[in-house]
Amino acid sequence: MSRPSPVRVVGGLATGVVAFVLLRGVLGVAGGAGAALGVAALAAWRFPRAALVRVLWSLPLFLLLVFVSVQLMFRVPGDPFASEKLADKAVLERQRDLYGIPAKSFAGGCEFYGAYLRRLVVDGEMGPCLKVQGRSVKEVLLPALPVSVSLGLCALTIACGLGLFLGVRAGLRPNTFRDYSSMGFAIVGVSLPSFVIGSLLILVFALGRPFDWFPAAGWGSVSRLVLPSVALALPYAAYIARLARSGTVEVMGQDFVRTARAKGLTEREVVLKHALRGAIVPVVSFLGPAAAGIVTGSFVIETLFGIPGMGQWFVRGAVNRDYYVVLGTVLLESGIVILFNLLVDLALPWIDPRLRGRS
Amino acid sequence: MYRTLLGLFAAFAGALVVVAATLSAYTPAPRADFVFVNGSEPQSLDPHRMKGQIEGRLADALFEGLTRKDPGTFEPVPAVAASWDVSPDGRTWTFHLRPDARWSDGDPVTAHDFAWSWRRLQEPATASEYSAVLHVVRHARALNKYGAQVAALRGDAAGKDGDAREGVIRRFDALLRAHPAGVPFRAWTEFVTDDRNALRDQVAGTAESALVAPLSRTSGDLTPAEGEAVLAALGREAERRAAALALARAHFGVDQGAFARDERTFVVELDALAPYFLELTSFYVTFPVHRKTVDRYGLDWFREGRLVGNGPFLLASWQVNEKIGLVRNPTYWGASEVSLRTVDVLPYDNQTTALNLYLMGDVDWLPGIYPPDLIDQLSRRPDFHANPGMIVYFYRLNTTREFLRDVRVRRALAKAIDREAIVRDLTRKGEIPTTTVVPPGVPDYASPSNDLAYDPAAARRLFAEAGYGPQGKPFPRFTIVFNTSEGHKKIAEFVADQWKKVLGIEVQANNKEWQALLADVAKLEYDVERAGWIGDYRDPKTFLDMWTTGDGNNETGWSDALFDRLVGLASDAGSLASWTPAQVDELVVACREGDRMRALLAAQRDAADAAARMEATLAVRLQLFREAEARLLIDGVPIIPFYFYVNTGLVQPDVEGIRYWGTKDGARVPNLQDEHPLRDVSTARSRGSRP
Repeated sequence: MSRPSPVRVVGGLATGVVAFVLLRGVLGVAGGAGAALGVAALAAWRFPRAALVRVLWSLPLFLLLVFVSVQLMFRVPGDPFASEKLADKAVLERQRDLYGIPAKSFAGGCEFYGAYLRRLVVDGEMGPCLKVQGRSVKEVLLPALPVSVSLGLCALTIACGLGLFLGVRAGLRPNTFRDYSSMGFAIVGVSLPSFVIGSLLILVFALGRPFDWFPAAGWGSVSRLVLPSVALALPYAAYIARLARSGTVEVMGQDFVRTARAKGLTEREVVLKHALRGAIVPVVSFLGPAAAGIVTGSFVIETLFGIPGMGQWFVRGAVNRDYYVVLGTVLLESGIVILFNLLVDLALPWIDPRLRGRS
Repeated sequence: MYRTLLGLFAAFAGALVVVAATLSAYTPAPRADFVFVNGSEPQSLDPHRMKGQIEGRLADALFEGLTRKDPGTFEPVPAVAASWDVSPDGRTWTFHLRPDARWSDGDPVTAHDFAWSWRRLQEPATASEYSAVLHVVRHARALNKYGAQVAALRGDAAGKDGDAREGVIRRFDALLRAHPAGVPFRAWTEFVTDDRNALRDQVAGTAESALVAPLSRTSGDLTPAEGEAVLAALGREAERRAAALALARAHFGVDQGAFARDERTFVVELDALAPYFLELTSFYVTFPVHRKTVDRYGLDWFREGRLVGNGPFLLASWQVNEKIGLVRNPTYWGASEVSLRTVDVLPYDNQTTALNLYLMGDVDWLPGIYPPDLIDQLSRRPDFHANPGMIVYFYRLNTTREFLRDVRVRRALAKAIDREAIVRDLTRKGEIPTTTVVPPGVPDYASPSNDLAYDPAAARRLFAEAGYGPQGKPFPRFTIVFNTSEGHKKIAEFVADQWKKVLGIEVQANNKEWQALLADVAKLEYDVERAGWIGDYRDPKTFLDMWTTGDGNNETGWSDALFDRLVGLASDAGSLASWTPAQVDELVVACREGDRMRALLAAQRDAADAAARMEATLAVRLQLFREAEARLLIDGVPIIPFYFYVNTGLVQPDVEGIRYWGTKDGARVPNLQDEHPLRDVSTARSRGSRP
């Protein structure tokens, strides 16, 4: 048990604040506050110091990120209400008023920033969606997130399974046919963009008789999940395979593996019990940011398969100058990246004994 | 090791739970009677705040106006209005509403609903972008625009910044004082185009000659006397607009303009002759909205569960980025004529996805949403349909650029383009090449011929006359900008190449992100820009009045007093019958087809009865537009027309009622506006021949 220190107390509080802002939308103000208190206590008491420091850092980072995003949005030419058929100036002004968007200038950006933060922290709201009017950003992003997360998790599962299998298989017998065939696959997977893989999959397994086993697009059933998951997973699988191969090659040459062999363990035990742990360390480090990306959705795969996920909002928000959607995606993406990196930092010492006791 | 395995197992189990939970939130719905891809989410379902075809398709399903389009002839036919009368001068329309029209909550649809809705459309607070289509209604323009204009002219005490509080008149006064010897032309132009003043917008449509002349002037300083006259005219203009606004506020929707005479009689008074008026009453912007619902929910009244409509369908569900579900509306007066029980509207914008779904049979109709590269294969299919549309593809020329000031240069550029080749080799859908802007099919109208057709030798000659070319000055390098799209890029590169070959000039073709392009064009910060224009109704007006001085969509810097006058007279063609011979002579001299104009005016003046006079007046009106189009494309050339788009679509063979061609008076007519109301569609499923 660590003794109380300023970092623990402040970090715990900060974690509580983050939890409150995140949870109040789902649990309501009272529920959110209760849950946040619990999280704060747990964090102060049990979280590793490194994690607390990271949370502490993330708060000013969020503020800065939103500020920079707002100012960039207000710099970029274009207007959420502009269209080819030019509307009256007075009409555009009135629309900006309706949706609380000040004139485009540095000062206007600051005003917008202040109003946005107030809305976010005080009301727990992320503003209205400008291109799908009648909806709030929360209403469009919240249902989209689990969709992208499910798709991402399926893809991650496939990517890890396939990637680790191929990579370890290759790494155990470097420079043999096994190695070349696995790495050949990996190179193809890394080089082919996912929309090509996706289109090929649709062509063969949706439109191509007699293999038309799956729907071409849509969402809401297991059969609709298969093709997009595979298309999303293959490039990641290829990358993981390459990482796992180099990890395996490196570990297999180390002293502790020789020791394990020397004490008479079977090759199977050597690999599974000793080598694998070391071999997947680079994979896990890669998985943090990769998972953050994969879970927040892929624009290409989601549009190709007509999936109502998060990925589309990243691109559409920016293209349409849908200011509130842009900020919503910025917050969400940065939060998820920070969270996943945190998880990886926590997981690595647990997987690799050599990294324990460092933090 | 077991710990690792356990961890992995737990992680995957967790993942599975998340996936299962998400999927179980979706209850698989049976396939709807009719499924189509709409290309995007609608920006709004409030008819007064809609602005495009994507929203329009939904508006036609959820609401209904006074009239609707007949699915066979595409002509307006009775809808909420069972019948109507027009006054002899064509200015007053009286609509008699059907007694059985109901809102989906059971309330009857009354003339008061229309009066309130039309007033809401014009109220500045509604911020409608399409309110201008009803500006022909008496008081509508005043109610809609004059408030902001008066505030801008006089200064607005509630204005957020100093500029707005000060006002145009005070700023012009300061400009006059700063130049006691007369305002130099440059300073005047800067004042007019200054974003804070936007003077042309503030006094658009003014009759003050002291303003009109300086505004359309292309050179020459403002003398002190002219300056004072402008100042005085600005004051009078503000005065006049303030008075008109007060009248409009008191009367529009109450007892003038558009108002309810009784529960079932809706009267509309027009400021101008509008033979196309019944097309407007079937256009979604003029649809009624349910007052109680709008008052209760405000800005977001049109969400599922709230929206109360009067159309053939109800909004059953709306999952953003996934689908909008419609079901047949049992309270709709014509429910027995509606075949489809359920409709799914898919928002997908990915053309490949849309085509895939169509090819698998999951979608019944693709309104032009397929990969354009496949056009050669797709257009050979029996289920592929196409017709000429009311959309023109053109380039804007920035006439304020030094090197584009000379009309001979603009003509030379237009004449150096082989439009046939563009349509044959690049776009390939059967588009119609053109040198005019009003598409064929606009009733009773024929565009005047002009001299912009492809002719390299003549183009070179014009260029040399303007002082450029091999013997003349070098022409500056300039840029064609277009919004990022493979199709626009191909055309822009082709045009750049032709201009280089024919005229020997260096042209760059640059793409620009859509929003950035719009911003640049609005500020006249471009050389040549690709553009498109969709007609709102079948009348030359919708393609021509945008080129008048001060219109927000002009965006070329071109301003022509005669053109403005012709377009202005066309809206008031009835008054020409009472003109003096001197006035007629003056107009006839200015016209290209003077004899024809004189004959038409004589026919109008000598008409035997009201009906004959109306017919003659309409002919005069169209002739005025014909003259205006000639002025635009013979004398002005601020734009280069390329071609008219075609509307295309893929329709499954069992679908009936999605018609690209119809018949009227025994002749085959195209569905110019690409309107396919779901009310009249049926499929094998909905007809009951397939489960």
